[in-house]
Amino acid sequence: MAAGVFIPGGVLTSGRVFQASKNKLKFRAVGGLPQGAFPSYASYVIEGTIDLKTHSGVATKNVFAGPPEAMSTIALPGLSRTIRITEVEDSGSVLRVRGVVDDRSQLQNGENPYVDITVDSGRETASSSFMNSEVSLKLE
Amino acid sequence: MADHLDSPGLKSPNMDARVDITDVFAFAAQEEEDEFSRTALVLNVNPLTLASAFDPDAIYEVLVDTNADATPDITFKTQFSAVGSNGRQRATVVRAVGADANSRDFSGRVIIKNAPVSFGREERIAEGEDFKFFAGVRSDPFFFDLLGFLAGFKFTGSDFFVDKNVFGTVLEVPNSALGTNPNIGVWSRILIPAKDLETPGTGGLVQIDRMGRPAINTVFNHGADKVTFNTIEPTGDRTTVTTTGKTFLANFEDVLASFGYDGGSAASIAQILLPDILTFNFNNNAGFLNGRKLTDDVIDIELNLVTKGAVTTDGVGPHTDLLDEFPYLGRPHGVVKEDEQD
Repeated sequence: MAAGVFIPGGVLTSGRVFQASKNKLKFRAVGGLPQGAFPSYASYVIEGTIDLKTHSGVATKNVFAGPPEAMSTIALPGLSRTIRITEVEDSGSVLRVRGVVDDRSQLQNGENPYVDITVDSGRETASSSFMNSEVSLKLE
Repeated sequence: MADHLDSPGLKSPNMDARVDITDVFAFAAQEEEDEFSRTALVLNVNPLTLASAFDPDAIYEVLVDTNADATPDITFKTQFSAVGSNGRQRATVVRAVGADANSRDFSGRVIIKNAPVSFGREERIAEGEDFKFFAGVRSDPFFFDLLGFLAGFKFTGSDFFVDKNVFGTVLEVPNSALGTNPNIGVWSRILIPAKDLETPGTGGLVQIDRMGRPAINTVFNHGADKVTFNTIEPTGDRTTVTTTGKTFLANFEDVLASFGYDGGSAASIAQILLPDILTFNFNNNAGFLNGRKLTDDVIDIELNLVTKGAVTTDGVGPHTDLLDEFPYLGRPHGVVKEDEQD
């Protein structure tokens, strides 16, 4: 088994995705914002716990002041989301997670409550949207 | 993010929002149209009002260069008392000239003494000689679609700062207190005891943050270079070497070149941006880049400039809660209490 592979219907693994218990995985991914020419001003942090057996779990998204290499504990207000995971699809080293923000008061006007997160254990990356822009993150 | 949360690595300098400058403004405090006899100097700190008071161990300075050599000739220094058991804090302001203007101490002639800090909704204003002074919690006048910026310049016209507060100091001075040359340079800095650094040092006061024009350190400098930029003086802005092995000036040129400027143009613009000083003719009320008014859309101007016209606006405009008269900054959001009178 190659490192960083999810075992379909079961356990996983990679050095960057942690097996919390028999069927539970934990991950944490961090990416700088904005991505591109300018230095990152903030860090986008997605953390999740996934039950591979029931295909459920919880994920959170937060934006902290400071770039990933010097991230603070100051969460920028209005940018935290709690996501109830409703679907999990695992294929090889890639985990595709879908969820919903039940507390709609967390959302900006026009923001989609449905959230997709892709966790690529092989590449040690994750991706998800931030304000309708796809953002690449690194698994920690 | 004019200068909000800009060090280290965009955290509040020294992990302390009390000494994190958010904005600096300099504009004509006109009582009559075409009358240019007074100037308002605004220094805001404490982004998102993460802290509950000013730092009594710090010195908050607005520096004025009267002869274009990027060193201060006149400095207005403010020092705060410790917060008393009654929850009150007071401020004293001095005007320092000559060598005292750049000395890292509270030397100078007292122009405002024991002014009350406003922690409530209503402003408490102090006056002394021909000066007016305010310090306290206020609506943050900065406006910017921060989320659009973080999303990669996908602006939606949503103003992140519209409901945020800061701690403001506003000093209104007669122009005669700014020297005889109307063309001045203005910037701010905050000094704290070396022992209060994240890694405690020895000796006297050290510069922990500074700012001239908006969004210079936040936008152009990476990681540890932001810290360095905050601690150097404007005279070193062009020549100080960064973690890239290049000078700040060269790094600025690189960022500008990445947006399509040719080498010559990038160099010219970088030399306008550095040293990081807000140039201001106090006989003119044109606004940014001549000084900076609370309503100036500095982000639109800078976006346009830096991106060579690729991005022209973030779609948000000035706040509507500004006051027509001193202290000009709007009343704080979510603060309903009034300060007790003395």
